[in-house]
Amino acid sequence: MVSFIISEKYSWIVSFLAPFLLLINALSAGIVFYYTWNNQPLAIEWTWFPVGGTSMKTGIYIDNISALMLVVVTLISFLVNLYSVGYMAGDRDIKRYFAMLGFFTFSMLGVVVADNLLIIFIFWELVGFSSYMLIGHWNEKPEAADAAKRAFILNRIGDAGFLIGLMIIWSNTGNFNIAELRSVTTMAPWQTAASLGIFCGIIGKSAQFPLFAWLPDAMEGPTPVSALIHAATMVAAGVFLLARVHFLFTPAALDVVAITGCLTALMGSLAAIAQYDLKKILAYSTISQLGLMVTALGAAAPEAAMLHLFTHAFFKACLFLAAGSVIHTLHQAQHQSHTTFDVQDIRNLGGLRSKLPYTFLIFVLSGSALAGIPLFSGFLSKDAILTSLLAWPGDGFSWRWLIFVGVIITSFLTVLYTFRMIWSVFAGPEKSTTQLTVAEAPAIMRAPMTVLAAASIWLIVSWNPFDFSGWIYSGLFAGMPSHSHLISIFSTVWILGALGVAYTLRERTFHSPLLLNGFYLNRVYKEFVETPVLQVTQLTEQLDKKWIDGLLHFSAYMQLIVAHVTGWFDRAIIDGVVDDAASMAKGVGSFIRTFQSGKIQLYIFWAAFAIIIFIIWTLL
Amino acid sequence: MFPIHHFLYLGALLFCAGLIVVITKKNMIMVLLGIELMLNASNLNLVAFNQFHPGTINGQMFALFVIIVAVCEAAVGLAIVIQVYRYYQTSVPGEVNELSD
Amino acid sequence: MNMTTFLFYFFEVVAAASSIALIFIRNVFYGALLLISCLLALAGIYVLAFAEFIAVTQIMVYAGGILVVIIFGIMLTTKISGKPLVVEHTYLFSGALAGLSLLGLFIFYISKEPFDTNPISSSTGINSLNTIGIGLMTDFALPFEVAAILLLVALIGAAIIASSTKTKKM
Repeated sequence: MVSFIISEKYSWIVSFLAPFLLLINALSAGIVFYYTWNNQPLAIEWTWFPVGGTSMKTGIYIDNISALMLVVVTLISFLVNLYSVGYMAGDRDIKRYFAMLGFFTFSMLGVVVADNLLIIFIFWELVGFSSYMLIGHWNEKPEAADAAKRAFILNRIGDAGFLIGLMIIWSNTGNFNIAELRSVTTMAPWQTAASLGIFCGIIGKSAQFPLFAWLPDAMEGPTPVSALIHAATMVAAGVFLLARVHFLFTPAALDVVAITGCLTALMGSLAAIAQYDLKKILAYSTISQLGLMVTALGAAAPEAAMLHLFTHAFFKACLFLAAGSVIHTLHQAQHQSHTTFDVQDIRNLGGLRSKLPYTFLIFVLSGSALAGIPLFSGFLSKDAILTSLLAWPGDGFSWRWLIFVGVIITSFLTVLYTFRMIWSVFAGPEKSTTQLTVAEAPAIMRAPMTVLAAASIWLIVSWNPFDFSGWIYSGLFAGMPSHSHLISIFSTVWILGALGVAYTLRERTFHSPLLLNGFYLNRVYKEFVETPVLQVTQLTEQLDKKWIDGLLHFSAYMQLIVAHVTGWFDRAIIDGVVDDAASMAKGVGSFIRTFQSGKIQLYIFWAAFAIIIFIIWTLL
Repeated sequence: MFPIHHFLYLGALLFCAGLIVVITKKNMIMVLLGIELMLNASNLNLVAFNQFHPGTINGQMFALFVIIVAVCEAAVGLAIVIQVYRYYQTSVPGEVNELSD
Repeated sequence: MNMTTFLFYFFEVVAAASSIALIFIRNVFYGALLLISCLLALAGIYVLAFAEFIAVTQIMVYAGGILVVIIFGIMLTTKISGKPLVVEHTYLFSGALAGLSLLGLFIFYISKEPFDTNPISSSTGINSLNTIGIGLMTDFALPFEVAAILLLVALIGAAIIASSTKTKKM
């Protein structure tokens, strides 16, 4: 099930080996899926190491959700690997690329199958690390290294919150095991704090507000990397985790989750409208879709979120791969004709429908799924979300209706930007590509895209194009109120109306520096976070220099003084005693020496003195 | 005829004076003078005690012999002093200390 | 106060004074003269103690003989410089200590001792000279002979000691 192989340094063999292994991976995942779907969850546990009195356990727990994710992750990883063989052909660091791709798959699968929050956290970190390596793959570009660093740091900030949440859980229940945590009744009032802590990690990993600024910048990495990481798997890891520990969240925490998700969705889609870079449009779109998933989770509908995750993985990965094929082919054409223009800027592109018809078809298929046009999978999953949002507020009017409205607006904007993207790349007059002879992408790149595009049709969800409670949905959760016809009719009308609006606006360009720069979030970080931190460091440096060094100086002086005192003591008293003893000996000696001085009168004196003493002593 | 303490006190005084002279004078001859004084003090004692033994002359005989010995000693002593003076060119007893270490 | 008592105290005072003065005198010659006066006073005391022969012998031998020889010695052992011979004191403290303590002891013992303080009233007619002569030949014949030999030896010895004239350069 979990395979991790770091490729040996044979570059030609790597391109063959990695996808092959991942194919095996995917097949085995499929087998697991078959066995555990709608059956008892598979749980294996063994002890890892003892700490103090308790022992940390690690293990594997596969229930429906993780089985689903297993399939998604391995399948998309395999397809991306296949695609990368064509995309990254001739790249210098291809060995490292495939090694990191394999490592990423390994850590993602670890997140999916672990039964233990601590193990999830470990693999979470590994996912973050491997994404850092992959984003900064072309590390000779400073923007790439910068983007990778930013991704990792923002991820880390979220993980700090995650760790706090973990600690709260541990101190309250002493257990990390997810299955056992399910039976924990309550840990109020810490439960809200713990769940918010875990949500912090999810904010970082799944690019919610305010930590989403890394995702657009992460487009510096190779496009297959973007497909794998940012469309399908890594950012979905957050959503997956939230679905896993959904039972832990209190209603108050769920409200926070929902608000955050809605905000993210709105901001993402607003920003996507104003972008010029092809991949950045897709990046902001990912942010917005993730916001939708998180909103669904906040509305206490993890099933809807998982469904959207499933469909989004396929159509977004397909979109990324298609965009990658456009970029790739245009690069090849550039090399041949020796012109340079930014192939990712959609203002330079246009009218590629005639030159890249296959890619155009793929784009239309997956883009429709993204936009939520009926007859596609995206429509169904969005429907699920809308339905659950409708059921969420209960009776009466509450602020939750605003969330509902927000989601509706987001879906409108989604149609807008998707249409704009496709139109400006493929339709209309050709701009800069008129002189180029552009060939279609090689077959090895087209095959994965075809598979993924096929998965964007409604058939993958359910037989009825208008009913989302297909096999996935009822497999994930039984007892959900069935879909509302109202919603499906409403959303169909809404989407078609948005399509019409987009068509009429197709030539209008949309200027907004605010949206273009992602709400200037990076600047915000710099102003409000970086400068105070630098000031704090300077302050502590001053503190250290003055006080701690001062303390050291002081203690050195004290030592010096003590040394002087002891020196004086030694000289005056101890030496004094010794000197006095010596001088006393000298005095006594020189006194006694006078007995032998040779002076007669002294002799006579001493004789008389002796006699006197004798008389006094004996006769008195 | 007189109480004996008169003689005895005087004798003691003379003896101590002679001792002081011997110890504190820096001239050899003065030392000899002190020695003579001491001898005379002892003579006085002898003669004084002789009064209390009438008919016997033991004390006086002793005193006579003391005088004789004193004469001999003074003669030899002076000869030595003169010889030492010739040899060491000094008459200070403290400077003749070749016997010291 | 009759004459004898006065004479006795007079001689006593002279003897005492001259001996005390001898301690403090610096001039050697004066010291010799002081000693002569002390000896003469002592001779007077001997007479009053019924020891006439001793008194005379004292005057003749001591004052006349020994002191003259001593004066000769003084003259021979001083450097001819025209200045009177002045000597300093040495070990004054030690000497005073010894002397005074000895004096104190003597006075202490003499005062303690209950002497028979009955002197004979007057001379009982002993002719001391005659008795001393007879004693010398009979009872004290041995000390007499020994004294004679001693005098002889002393005479020869003094003569020999003072005759050799080796001088050593210091």
